[in-house]
Amino acid sequence: MPPIVEIAALYKSFGETQVLRGVDLNVEPGEVIAIIGRSGSGKSTLLRCINGLERFDSGAILIRNKQIDHDRAAAMRELRQQVGMIFQSFNLFPHLSVGRNIMLAPRLVKKRAARQGEEQARALLARVGLEEKFDAMPDRLSGGQQQRVAIARALAMEPAVLLCDEITSALDPELVGEVLRVVERLASDGMTLMMVTHEIGFARKIADRLVFMHQGKVHEMGPPEELFANPKTSELRQFLSSLHN
Amino acid sequence: MVNLDFGTILVDWRMLAKGVAWTLRLTTASATGGLALGIGCAWARIHGPVWLKAVTGAYVELFRNTPFIVQLFFIFFGLPAAGFRLSPETASILAMVVNLGAYATEIIRAGIEATPRGQVEAALSLALSPVQTFFHVVLPPALRKIWPALVSQIIIVMLGSSVCGQISTEELSFAANLIQSRNFRAFEAFIVAALIYLALSIVLRRLLNWLGPRFLFGD
Amino acid sequence: MVEFTLWDILRNLLLAARWTVGLSLIAFIGGGLVGFALLIARLTPSQGAHRLVGLYIQLFQGTPLLIQLFLAYFGLALFGIQTSAWTAATLALTAYTSAFLSEIWFGCVASVPRGQWEAARSLALTFGEQLRHVILPQALNIAIPPTVGFLVQVIKGTALASVIGFVELTKAGGMITNATFRPFTVYAAVALIYFALCYPISLTARALERTLHAAHR
Repeated sequence: MPPIVEIAALYKSFGETQVLRGVDLNVEPGEVIAIIGRSGSGKSTLLRCINGLERFDSGAILIRNKQIDHDRAAAMRELRQQVGMIFQSFNLFPHLSVGRNIMLAPRLVKKRAARQGEEQARALLARVGLEEKFDAMPDRLSGGQQQRVAIARALAMEPAVLLCDEITSALDPELVGEVLRVVERLASDGMTLMMVTHEIGFARKIADRLVFMHQGKVHEMGPPEELFANPKTSELRQFLSSLHN
Repeated sequence: MVNLDFGTILVDWRMLAKGVAWTLRLTTASATGGLALGIGCAWARIHGPVWLKAVTGAYVELFRNTPFIVQLFFIFFGLPAAGFRLSPETASILAMVVNLGAYATEIIRAGIEATPRGQVEAALSLALSPVQTFFHVVLPPALRKIWPALVSQIIIVMLGSSVCGQISTEELSFAANLIQSRNFRAFEAFIVAALIYLALSIVLRRLLNWLGPRFLFGD
Repeated sequence: MVEFTLWDILRNLLLAARWTVGLSLIAFIGGGLVGFALLIARLTPSQGAHRLVGLYIQLFQGTPLLIQLFLAYFGLALFGIQTSAWTAATLALTAYTSAFLSEIWFGCVASVPRGQWEAARSLALTFGEQLRHVILPQALNIAIPPTVGFLVQVIKGTALASVIGFVELTKAGGMITNATFRPFTVYAAVALIYFALCYPISLTARALERTLHAAHR
């Protein structure tokens, strides 16, 4: 089976600063990838390139063997139906109830009928443990609840790959667990996940592969236990020791 | 001392009512048209190509920095010379739409620009097209935010419709003028008109504050 | 038939524009003084004063300027006072300006944090001293841009004085149109002259908003 995500020689600069300096990475269907590294190493930028929120300067990204084509709007919409994203700041639509937040995109993009859309939304809310919040407005929910709704909203589009950009970093510590439990279930259900995260313990637990990024490149990667037991490079060793402080 | 006689005015209540009807007609037409124009031009000012940004910018500045009566006279008296002859009513509505549109553009633009970028990114990540993102994610919260300012502007335009009587549109101030020209009770006639306008502005504000959340941006 | 050149038209319009400028300045300054007095009245503890000023503002903001001009013109005559279009226009525009400026300024004062009043009061300052030394200086910065911006509204308002016969720019435009049968050219020129008066002021108000607002935040 070909990789579901193929990234080759990816370069990206913001003005003078080169943030991605030749990233190579392949992701197999059903794999759970955790991307770790210092701030500024390019982790979030990489993720945002994969769903087209950032334009990369050179290199290639293939999703299910199709190259990302920034210049064709239809191609970008096609891409975003394959690749979903969860944001650090949730980004729920404040003027729509929880249920309508989830139903909006399937209705507009997949032309889903109202009844099916509602059934699907209720099912997804049940899956993330919030079935009673269907009619609630986002500002009434805690951070952890909002993030779980955001996950349900992204799942409504039935993506092949889910990108998680530091999805617990903006949460109070006691709310992190409920979100991570949902992600763990997604992983065990076979979803392909690419997570940028600081929750190293969590990454160790559910990731098939840990990717350590340093200065815009993939510096080391491998199964979590291997990387923790035998870090090959001094940069990774330094990063891991800094975590214990 | 001074002898005020409101009776002679109120006898002609039918004429006043007809004037009010016209004022309301003018206001409704221009509020809908002006709002649509304002949304379109606000979008153009933010997302349009450079030439479109310049054209809408010039339109907005021109109509916000010239008096409404001059705009009206230009449309009604000036355009026929260029081949566009309009009825007083059409000219009035056109002038009011274009006038409100200029103010609405700036008000709505401020609302749109206040939308957090994260909302747009979330919508795009859900595969919504830019057009869908604009109408379903950006515009509703923006309209809610700027609704009070927009309502105030619509009321200003409603009061401004009084000028349209100068080109013989039969709105309220025209009716009051007609009445006083017959019974010479000018002061009383215009007091009555003023009070009716006051009532209209209070009612209109309440109505629009109810209408907005229900139909435009509530859920 | 007499031929009028574009320059003839412009020259006459510009001469009339002097009256527009004059009326605008008188209404703006006069309205500012009255508006300031109304502001102070509204800031006193007297509930009666609040209600009266509130009513005054509601009247001027809820009725058309045109009707206000008619009322001034016919009303003064009713009370036996000699009215020219000039007198009526000045009176009406001054009152109109005073209501709007007073409301704008009240909003600016209201945005000065409550704590400032409390601190000033705790220092045993009288009401007048609180206003003069603590509140108004802070409100001033916030108030300058919208006040400058309102001058544009006043200039546009003077155009309505033409309806009661005052010969300013718009009335001159009407008269010249009747003489030359060139309404398109004449009213375009009238619009451009108003634009030349108002646009620089709008730009100034916007620039002031940027500099003063940035410093304040």
